[in-house]
Amino acid sequence: MSARVSNPETILSVRDLEKTYPNGVRALKGVSFDVKRGEFLVIIGLSGSGKSTMLRCLNRLHDPTGGRILFKGRDVTGIEGQGVLELRSRIGMIFQHFNLIPRHTVIGNVLSGALSRTSTLKSVLGLWSREDREKAMRYLRLVGIGDKAYYRAAQLSGGQQQRVAIARALTQSPDVLLADEPVASLDPATCHTVMDYLKKVNQELGLTIICNLHFLSLVRQYATRVIALKGGEVVYEGDPNSIDDAWFQRIYGEGAKEVHIN
Amino acid sequence: MTQTSIGPAVRRTIFDAFVFAYVAFALYALATNPTEEMLLDLERNAALAGSLALVGAAASLAFNKSGCRTLGEVLFAPAHKRQAAGEPKAWFKTFWGQQAVVTTLVTLVAGLIVTEFSLVALLDRERISQASKLLGQLFNPGWAILPTVVLHMVQTVYMAFVATAIAVPIAFALSFLSAKNIMRSSAAGLATYTILRVIFNVSRSIEPIIWAIIFALWVGFGPFAGMLALMIQSIASLAKQYSEYVEGVDEGPIEGIRSTGATMLQTVWFAIVPQVTLPYISYTIYRWDTNVRMATIIGFVGGGGIGKLLIEYQLQGAWPEVGCILLVVAFVVWVMDAFSAYVREAIK
Ligand SMILES: Nc1ncnc2c1ncn2[C@@H]1O[C@H](COP(=O)(O)OP(=O)(O)OP(=O)(O)O)[C@@H](O)[C@H]1O
Ligand SMILES: [Mg+2]
Repeated sequence: MSARVSNPETILSVRDLEKTYPNGVRALKGVSFDVKRGEFLVIIGLSGSGKSTMLRCLNRLHDPTGGRILFKGRDVTGIEGQGVLELRSRIGMIFQHFNLIPRHTVIGNVLSGALSRTSTLKSVLGLWSREDREKAMRYLRLVGIGDKAYYRAAQLSGGQQQRVAIARALTQSPDVLLADEPVASLDPATCHTVMDYLKKVNQELGLTIICNLHFLSLVRQYATRVIALKGGEVVYEGDPNSIDDAWFQRIYGEGAKEVHIN
Repeated sequence: MTQTSIGPAVRRTIFDAFVFAYVAFALYALATNPTEEMLLDLERNAALAGSLALVGAAASLAFNKSGCRTLGEVLFAPAHKRQAAGEPKAWFKTFWGQQAVVTTLVTLVAGLIVTEFSLVALLDRERISQASKLLGQLFNPGWAILPTVVLHMVQTVYMAFVATAIAVPIAFALSFLSAKNIMRSSAAGLATYTILRVIFNVSRSIEPIIWAIIFALWVGFGPFAGMLALMIQSIASLAKQYSEYVEGVDEGPIEGIRSTGATMLQTVWFAIVPQVTLPYISYTIYRWDTNVRMATIIGFVGGGGIGKLLIEYQLQGAWPEVGCILLVVAFVVWVMDAFSAYVREAIK
């Protein structure tokens, strides 16, 4: 385990990361980048460029096939079993389709963020600790839907469900929050609400965020730094406001035009 | 590419060969009216059927080559060939249509002979009056034995209930081990999945009445044997159905729960169980309902309960008593059926 971290502020280091799926698709071809504590890092790129694969390698929902990932200075590439579960508990994640349990209550969904520190028996019996209950309720209020705690998740609108998902991730007390196209299935107005909550979480709780996005206008508004993937490789890394038309064409291909949502 | 074009052609030829050999053989048998001894002469018949099949295969190839589509071609042709079948013709004018009609007619005629269909027996005045007397007795039930009947019926319903109740937790646990989406991640898992699936399919295909015979010899005649027979069948059938529900769950919640660092068991409990609970309950009630009906039949071969009572009175020719039993069975089955349908509708 080589724990060489050049910058103490670096929370995640990705080095030459490779992912080849069992069917032979090379989704990541040697991706390297660093993530600093407190950043709002946005990953952009065409559909199929490997953004989702990238995020899922970071919390080991997928196993990388090459390269290394350092999390808080520790090499987590080779860990297995319990180690993977601990890693996941340190990294929250939200998804395009929210991935809640529709039949469970909102508060029940948020409490599942505490699964990793609750024994299997206790969690099955619903015996959550008092701190976890309070924490879940606190985060539910933070995302503005404390009054919906006892609704079924399925009864909420898409934007509200995504806020439940954020509260669930926060209940993990994670160091990093991954967001895989968190607003792609929401209407433009709701989309800003959800992005604003992510920004709030980033600024008020100091949580590091790595977020896949499709719309460049959102990227400019929320990202502190951008990485662009193309065909499984990093083609751009830097300030969101320096992405001009030339860069845009390189990332999205010749003839691509930017669309705006307000 | 070659595989997709050869596979259907082989299947087509085998099918046509079989149909031709079957029709020709049946016609031959109809024409010559063979004795039982001739029908049992395996060597001669196999040779005959074999050569007829060869002729059929050759005919199938020849017809299809000349553009005349056979039944086998229609059934097994790959999708891209079906569209290129040319201008539509009324089905009874096509070769394959006539082939289907001839095969069905021959089967019908042969079937009437094999099942010893006889209008003479059906319309015999003497026998009709005997049967109607029996029916009359059946519909004039002997209510005197009603308390005994109810007691046995209760036993049957309990047999079905206990069999279902024991089967449910076992099938519940097994259903996750035999769901492909859970087990495919490792080689050991895939092996478990395959073995369990084979066991389920084999034990499901053995009728409960056979299980009842086996268990009656094992634990003695009576309701216990019948309950065990129903239980075995229920485990296999519930586990198979449950695991299909597990295979059909939405992957999203699984990913969501896994991302929190949950263990395998927590993921199953939080992401999968909520998705399958309602279909599980619904199918389980249906299974209990089925078990009540099966428990009656199982009684015939030593499984106890109402079936045992029924067979006893039937052997004595005590038709009014049999009538009483049949009415009680019909009533309970009807109530169970309505109840199960209602509950399944209500929780949907
Ligand atoms: N489970 C999988 N098995 C095999 N190939 C996969 C799998 N998941 C993704 N891929 C492939 O890997 C490549 C990258 O996919 P990925 O989902 O990471 O892209 P993405 O950038 O997230 O795209 P999108 O914007 O459409 O979500 C694609 O070619 C995709 O087909
Ligand atoms: Mg994606």
